[in-house]
Amino acid sequence: MPKLIIDDIPVEVPPGTSVLEAARSVGITIPHFCYHPALAIAAACRLCAVKLLDGPVKGIQMSCSLPAQDGMVVSTTDPDALKMRSLVIEWLMLNHPHDCPVCDEGGECLLQDFTIAGGHSRRRYVGKKRTFQNQYLGERIHHEMNRCIECYRCVRFYQEYAGGTDFGVTGSAGRVYFGRFAEGALESPFSGNLVDICPTGVFTDKTGRFRARYWDYEFAPAVCQHCSVGCNTSPQNFQRELIKIVARRNDQVNGWFICDRGRFDKEYLNSPQRPRDPEIGGAPGEYRLALEAAANRISEFCLQNGAASLAFVGSGRLSLEGCLVLAELARVVGAPFCYFTESAAAQGSLAAVRLLNEQNAARVRDIEKAECIALFELDLMEEGAMLSLAIRKASLAGAQVFRVGGAREGEKHPLPFRYQEVATVDEVPFEGGSKGVVICGAGGKSPELLSYLASSGAKLVMLQPGPNAFGAALVSLERKGATLSDLVESGQIKAVVCFEADLPPWLLERVEVLACADWKRGGLTEKASVLLPTTTWVESNGTSINYEGRAQRFLRSRPAGLPLKGLDPKYYSSETEAVALHPPRVHRNYIPGGAEREAWRVMADLMLELGGEPVNEPLTGRWGKLRDLDPEGEGVRIYDLVSAQDLS
Amino acid sequence: MISEELKKSLAERVAGAITPREATVDVMKELQAHYGWLTDEAVGEAASLLGLSPLQVEELATFYEMIYRRPVGKKVIHVCDSISCWCADCDGIIAHLKKRLGVELGGTTADGMYTLLPCACMGRCGDSPAMSVGGTPYGHLTPHLVDEILEKERRA
Amino acid sequence: MDLPLFRHNRRDRSVAFKEYRSEGGFEALKRAITGMTPAEVQQTVIDSGLRGRGGAGFPTGKKWSFVPRDLPGPRWIICNCDEMEPGTYKDRVLLEHNPYSLIEGMTLACYALGVRHGFIFIRKGYEQAAENLARAIDEAKKEGFLGERILGSEHSIDIDLHLSAGRYICGEETALINALEGKRPNPRQKPPFPAVKGLWAGPTVVNNVETLANIPGIVVRGAAWFKGLSMNPEGAGSKLFCVSGSVKDRACVELPIGIPLADIIDGPCGGMRLGKRFKACIPGGASTQFLTAEHLKVPMDYDPVAKAGSRLGSGGIIVFDQDHCLVEATLNLITFFARESCGWCTPCREGLPYVKEILARIEAGYGKEDDIDILREHIKYLNYSFCALAPGAMAPLDGLLRHFEDEVREHIVKKKCPLKK
Ligand SMILES: Cc1cc2nc3c(=O)[nH]c(=O)nc-3n(C[C@H](O)[C@H](O)[C@H](O)COP(=O)(O)O)c2cc1C
Ligand code: SF4
Ligand code: FES
Repeated sequence: MPKLIIDDIPVEVPPGTSVLEAARSVGITIPHFCYHPALAIAAACRLCAVKLLDGPVKGIQMSCSLPAQDGMVVSTTDPDALKMRSLVIEWLMLNHPHDCPVCDEGGECLLQDFTIAGGHSRRRYVGKKRTFQNQYLGERIHHEMNRCIECYRCVRFYQEYAGGTDFGVTGSAGRVYFGRFAEGALESPFSGNLVDICPTGVFTDKTGRFRARYWDYEFAPAVCQHCSVGCNTSPQNFQRELIKIVARRNDQVNGWFICDRGRFDKEYLNSPQRPRDPEIGGAPGEYRLALEAAANRISEFCLQNGAASLAFVGSGRLSLEGCLVLAELARVVGAPFCYFTESAAAQGSLAAVRLLNEQNAARVRDIEKAECIALFELDLMEEGAMLSLAIRKASLAGAQVFRVGGAREGEKHPLPFRYQEVATVDEVPFEGGSKGVVICGAGGKSPELLSYLASSGAKLVMLQPGPNAFGAALVSLERKGATLSDLVESGQIKAVVCFEADLPPWLLERVEVLACADWKRGGLTEKASVLLPTTTWVESNGTSINYEGRAQRFLRSRPAGLPLKGLDPKYYSSETEAVALHPPRVHRNYIPGGAEREAWRVMADLMLELGGEPVNEPLTGRWGKLRDLDPEGEGVRIYDLVSAQDLS
Repeated sequence: MISEELKKSLAERVAGAITPREATVDVMKELQAHYGWLTDEAVGEAASLLGLSPLQVEELATFYEMIYRRPVGKKVIHVCDSISCWCADCDGIIAHLKKRLGVELGGTTADGMYTLLPCACMGRCGDSPAMSVGGTPYGHLTPHLVDEILEKERRA
Repeated sequence: MDLPLFRHNRRDRSVAFKEYRSEGGFEALKRAITGMTPAEVQQTVIDSGLRGRGGAGFPTGKKWSFVPRDLPGPRWIICNCDEMEPGTYKDRVLLEHNPYSLIEGMTLACYALGVRHGFIFIRKGYEQAAENLARAIDEAKKEGFLGERILGSEHSIDIDLHLSAGRYICGEETALINALEGKRPNPRQKPPFPAVKGLWAGPTVVNNVETLANIPGIVVRGAAWFKGLSMNPEGAGSKLFCVSGSVKDRACVELPIGIPLADIIDGPCGGMRLGKRFKACIPGGASTQFLTAEHLKVPMDYDPVAKAGSRLGSGGIIVFDQDHCLVEATLNLITFFARESCGWCTPCREGLPYVKEILARIEAGYGKEDDIDILREHIKYLNYSFCALAPGAMAPLDGLLRHFEDEVREHIVKKKCPLKK
C-alpha cells in the first residue's frame, strides 16, 4: 500500500489509486473535468495539475493519471500548480459563451465551480470566440456545442462505456465537435446519461429545461420503479412537479448511470389524469367517506358471500411495506390475498426466490467479472437494460456471451456487446460453473426450467416482473399468498379489493371490484365502486427488493398533491368570479389534490375501519431489521434476514 | 453508387486487413477518388464495407486533411503555407492563385475546375514554394510557372 | 568520406534493385540471417550508438531492448514515414532515391526483435516514395530477402505499407499507432510505452525511416565504423540534413554528424542567397528553437545543439535572413501547430490559438507589453500538455523571446512591424 503525503496530510491508498483519488480520500478535491470515476483515464483537460515536491516523480503532474507511489510529496496548492490550473480555466473560457443566465446547467455546472476554484477571473484574450452549429438530437436532449470544453466525457461514455455508435467526436484541433453524423434522435437507450456526465451545459434535459435552478429542487434518494434492477436515482421536483430525474451513484446496483426509461418515463408522475381525489361510485368524495364506503362494501359483501369469496390483490409494484400490510388487512377480514394475478408469473417469481441465495444470486460485480455469460430467453433491454452495461464490461474484458433462444419479439434495442447465438443452454461452455452467469427473466418461466438453469452451477440473474416482485414473492411465501387467477378459475372468488394491482382483461371481467387504490387509472379504477388515490414513489417512503434480493429504501421527495404548474384556477382564484384573478389570490391551508396516501397507509386506515388494530410501523417481525436501512447506502441483500426455507 | 467491381476490390482490401478498421483510410481515399469528394453516400458505403457506423467513419474522415467532406472542383490545388514556403514567399503565390482563379482560399472556380486550399508542409521545403494540383507536386513556383501549370493541368 | 545512406543514389532516378545488390545491398541481411543471432544484431545496434533520427534522438538499441522477449502474441515494427514537420524532407529524398536500405534495415530490425510483420506508415503526398517501396518489397520478396522463409532460413518477415491522409500528429508514435489501427489519431497515454503495449496491444517499436536505413551499414561494417563516421567524438554516424530558406542551394545532404552548422550552410548549400545575411535558423524542423549567428560553430550533434539551447531534431534546417521578420515567422509556425493540434488536450487545442492571436496582433502593430508575459506563461505551461506537440510548438517561440525579444518589443513600441516596408 503506497504511502504518500498530500498537502502535509499522510495518505495510504491501495496500489493503483491515482493521486487525484488519494487526495479525494482525505477530503481534498483537485479540480478536474475529463476525469470521471466510471470512465477510463483520458488526462485530456489538464486541469488536475498538482506539483510533486519530492519522491519518485517531481514537478507538475496530472493527478488523475498519476498512480500514487511510496514517498510522494504532493502539493495541490503550490503556486506553479495553481498557475497551471488557472491557465487551463482561462483556455477553456476563451471560447466559452458567457451565457450562464440562460443555461440550464447553471448552479450545477462544473465549469462554473472550477472557474472560481481555478482562480481565473479576468479576461485577457481579445480574439473572437469560435462558434458551432447545434444538432437536433431528438426530443429529450438539447445540444449546445458552444458550451463544450472538450473533456471527451460524452463520447467516452457513449461509445466506450455504453456501446453506442451513432454519436461521437469529429474534426480535429479547435474544431472538434461532439455530435451525430446527421441530425436525429440519439439511438442509445442510455443517451440521457450525457446530461449527467457533461460537466457543462452542452447536453441538457430537454424535457425539463428552463423550469428551475438546482437550488430550487426538492431532492431525495429514490429507487427507480421501472424494472427489477432498482437503479438509484434522484428526482428533482419543483413546486410538486417532477422536472428531471438524474442518476444517483450506487456501485452495487447501477454505478453512476441509469437507462433512458428510468430518466425520461416520468410524465405519469405529473399527469393531470392521475387520481387525486377519492371517488365513490364515480363521484369525487372525501377520503374519510370513501374509506367508510369501501369498508361498508367489504363488510356487506362478506356478509352475503363469505370472506373466502373476496380477494385482496397487490402486485410487484407495491412496496415491501404495502405487501406486508396487505397480508394483515386480509387477515383481519379473513380473506385470501394475492401479489400475483397470473399463475405463470407467480410460479416463476416464487421459484426464483426459492432458488436464489447469497452464494448463487449474481451481483453486478459478478456479471462484470464473469468469463462466460448466457442470456436465456429474455428481452434484456426491456427487462433490465442497465445490466447490459455490466455485460458489456465483461465482454470487453474478454468474456464470452451467448444468447440462448434468439431475440424476443418486439425487441427495440440491439444489445450493446458482442455475443453468439446458441439454440440451447447446454451449448454454453460454462467451465465448472465458476465465473459463469446465467441471466433470464423469471416471470412466466416454469420452476423446472429455472431449476434446470440453476443447475449449471453458474451464478444467476433472474429478473422479476416488477420493481418489488422479489419482495412480493418473499412475502407471498411467508404469509402464504395465493394467485388470483387460480382462485378465480376455481370459482372461489367473486370480488376483489386491489392495491396498485394490474388485472388482465379476462380476469377483470370475471370479478366485481369493491375498492381499488392506485396512483394510475386503468380498467380496475374504472370498474371499482370506491377509488382511493395512492402516492407514487416520489411522494412515498418505502422499500423495494430488486432482482438480486437487495432491499433498498427510497424517500419521499415532494408532498402529495397537484403540481403548481397547470393548476386549475379554481384553486387559487375567487370561487365566486368566473375568471382567474391575478392578484388577489385565495389562500388555502391545504394542498390541492393532496388526498393521496401511501398504499400501506390506505390499507392501515381500511383495517382500522374494519375493526383491526392500528398499524404504525409496517416493517415488523423479521422485516423489522430493515427499518434502519440507509437510503443513501448500497442497500442490503436480504438472504441473512430471510431464507426461502424459513419462509415456506 | 459505386460499381460492383470497386465494391469487390474494397471488400477485398478490408478482408485483407488485420482488423477492418485498419483499412478505413484506404477505403475513404478510394471512394473519394471515385466521387471526387467523400460524399455522404460514400461515408455510408465506407461504413457498411468496414462494419462501422457512418458516424464512426465521419470521426476519421473529418480528422484528415486530405479527405474532403465537401464538394471540390475537378482538381484540388493545395498550396503549402508552412515555414519553408513562407521563406520563399508562398504568400505571393497564394495571392497570385487567388487572383488568377478568382476565388478565396477554400473556394472553387466558377467552371468547377479547381478548388484552392492551403495545406501543411508538403515535405518539399527544398523546392519551396510548393503546391500540388490534383495530387501532382510542383515546386520552385513563380507566378509565371503557376500560370503554366494551371493551363497544363486544365488541359490534362 | 563514407556516405552509407546516399552512396547508392543516382542523379535523377531511384537506384535499381540490381544496382543496389551489386553495390553490397542485402549483404547485411544475408550476414545476419546466416551468421548472427537476433541478440547479436541488437547488440551491434546498441554498440553503434545510433540515435533515433525522427526527432527525439532516443538511442535505438536501447529502445529495442524495452521490448519484452517472452510475451506471447504478435509484436510489431513500424517505420515512421509521416514526415510532416515543416522544414523536413529528408525521408522523402532518401526513399525517392533508394527504398532498399529501408527495406533491408527494417527486415534486420524485425529479425533482431523476432517480429513477423512490419508496417511502413507513409504520409499523404509521398506517393513516389510509396511506389518505390512497394516495388522494393516485391523485388526483395522475389529474391528471397523478404516474405516466407527468408534466404531459406526458418524466418519469415512481411512488410506492408499504410498510406495516411495527412495530419502532422500522425507522426507522434502513439497517435501513429492509433491511426494505423484505424482509430482517431490522438496520442495515447504513456505508460504503457509502445515497446510493451502498442499496436493492437502488442509490443511495438516505432522508428524513423533514416534510423532504420542506417541498420544495414551498422550490421555489415560494425559499430566502430559507424561511430567513426561522426565528426563529434561523442556522436555516431552520418546524418541527413535538409536545408531550406535563404541559402543559395537548398539541398538534402548526408554529412558526418557533428559537422558545424556553418559548414553545412557554406558547404553544400553554397552560402546565403545573393545579398542576404544570416539572421537565424531553425536547426531541426519546426519544433526546435532558433539558433543565431553566434551558434554557427555549433557541431550538429544531439548534445551540442541541446547545449546551445535547441535540438538537432529531424535535421531540417530553415535559414532566415536579415529581411525576415521573426515574429511573423513564429506566427507562421504557431499557425501550423494550432491547425495540426489533434484537439485532445486543453493547453494545445486552446493555448496555441491564443498564442497565435497574440503574435498576430503584435505583428499587426496592436501588441501590448503584457502580451510578452502571456507568451512566456505559454512557453512554460504548454509543457504540461498531453503529448510533445505543444511543447514542440513553443520551442520557436521560446527561441524568439530568448534571442529576439528586442525585435518583438520593437513591434509593440513602434506599433508596426519594423521589417515591413
Ligand atoms: C507531434 C510529433 C510529430 C512527430 N512526427 C514525426 C515524424 O513525422 N517522423 C518521425 O520519424 N518521427 C516523428 N515524431 C517522433 C516520433 O514520435 C518517434 O519518436 C519517432 O518516430 C521514433 O523514431 P526514432 O527513434 O527512430 O527517431 C513526432 C513526434 C511528435 C511529438
Ligand atoms: S499536445 Fe494535446 S491536443 Fe496537442 S497534439 Fe498532443 S495530445 Fe493533441
Ligand atoms: S482530470 Fe486530469 S487531465 Fe483532466
